[in-house]
Amino acid sequence: MGDLLAQAWIVARKDLVLEFRTRTALLSAVVFTALVLTVFNFGRDPTAVATIDLAPSILWVTFTFAAMLALNRAFQLELENGALEGLLASPLSRVSLYWGKGVANLAFVAVVEAVGLPLFVLFFDVPVGSVLLPLIGVIALATVGFVAVGTLFSAMVIRTRFAELMLPVLLLPFLIPPLVGAVQVTARLLASRPLSESVGYLKLLAAYDIVFVSLASVLFRFTVDE
Amino acid sequence: MSLAQRGRRITLVGLVLLAGVYVRALAYTPMERFQGPAQKIFYLHVPAAWSAMLAMGLVGLSSVLYLLLRDARFDRFAAASAEVGTTFSLVMLTTGPIWAKPIWGTWWTWDARLTLTLFLFFLFLGYLLLRSAVAEPGLRARYSAVLGICGLVLLPFIHLSVYLFRTLHPQPIVLKPSSPSLPGDMLITLLLSFAVFTVLYVGFVTQRYALSLEREAQGSGDVGRA
Amino acid sequence: MPDVPQNAGYMVAAYIVTAVILLVYAVSLSRRANRP
Repeated sequence: MGDLLAQAWIVARKDLVLEFRTRTALLSAVVFTALVLTVFNFGRDPTAVATIDLAPSILWVTFTFAAMLALNRAFQLELENGALEGLLASPLSRVSLYWGKGVANLAFVAVVEAVGLPLFVLFFDVPVGSVLLPLIGVIALATVGFVAVGTLFSAMVIRTRFAELMLPVLLLPFLIPPLVGAVQVTARLLASRPLSESVGYLKLLAAYDIVFVSLASVLFRFTVDE
Repeated sequence: MSLAQRGRRITLVGLVLLAGVYVRALAYTPMERFQGPAQKIFYLHVPAAWSAMLAMGLVGLSSVLYLLLRDARFDRFAAASAEVGTTFSLVMLTTGPIWAKPIWGTWWTWDARLTLTLFLFFLFLGYLLLRSAVAEPGLRARYSAVLGICGLVLLPFIHLSVYLFRTLHPQPIVLKPSSPSLPGDMLITLLLSFAVFTVLYVGFVTQRYALSLEREAQGSGDVGRA
Repeated sequence: MPDVPQNAGYMVAAYIVTAVILLVYAVSLSRRANRP
């Protein structure tokens, strides 16, 4: 187990170093998130629907798009640098490879969300103060779900035609359960409802994460090996 | 008799029997008093749902077997089952709203059944799209298998999400469709319809499987086309 | 006792649509088999 994590960290660190060296993808994703939030502002009628009712959906649609962007660029780096071949030739276990990629993707999306959340609070005047910690918890849970399946699928679509279209088409159905959970819990948190009301959804999120991280860990090697 | 011919024969039998079910359902099965004639859509919608679920289940099972045993027959079968499943899902997706409109007063509602139908359809489509986007047969088989397994695992989560979501929202139900216990005649019609849809599933899958074999023999494969 | 709803039109529509879908698919399978 320790070996697995050590190997995963090697993979993750390599990816993250590459990412932060160029920073282009990261900055683009952050700017994109800010723009999406802005578009949402103009896409609604503040007199018709209270912002607070729309807020959870706005936040999560934005985060979903950001996650998709992050995942899309995940394996592009590999293809461009031909690094994938080297990784596969090494004695690195496929599970570590998956976890490493997953952690790197998670870090990327986390940075984007870390910028996106304050922007969201600012643009839409959302009262997150008292519920910040649980909110971050929910964001983390849902993001793990997104990234778990997304990392697996992005490994596949890299070698398909129309990869940029293929990833959303394949991935979006899988993002619905964590999305439903996340939106519902966020809505309840923002409305200052007691956490007990969100328990069902939190269990859904947790179960989804556990099941799909496990499943993807097992299936990952079939996407990269003969 | 070649596989294709056998498939055609089974399908033909299925279609003739379907005509029989039509006659029985429309003319010889009593009408449900509260829902009126529209209730009879039930005799097509529910068996179609069964066939679609069966198709998806077998895609999943076949995918697991393919990854374990690497026998191309499982891949061929999964592809056939997916295409046939798409067809039955389409029947579900059309008969569902047509039944919903007179009974529930609306063409669409995000209740568990219709939502699951929609997702099943998206999953099948995604599967077929993925297959058409990968040129190399071995890669295609592996990728499809991964997607097929993930899709099957996703279904219970979709059901759970919708269930959680709906229990808190009132349903726009005007009349309640399909009571749990059916009077004799109706039950017989339903069971006959189940049998016929199963026959159609077998016939269609056999034909589609034979088609894959034929294409492989000709060297053209399934690339870029369903 | 409420009147029986007059919604036979929907029933007919659904039965026709189902038949069309299944028949079109069956024909598509046959035709694709014959085409090289």
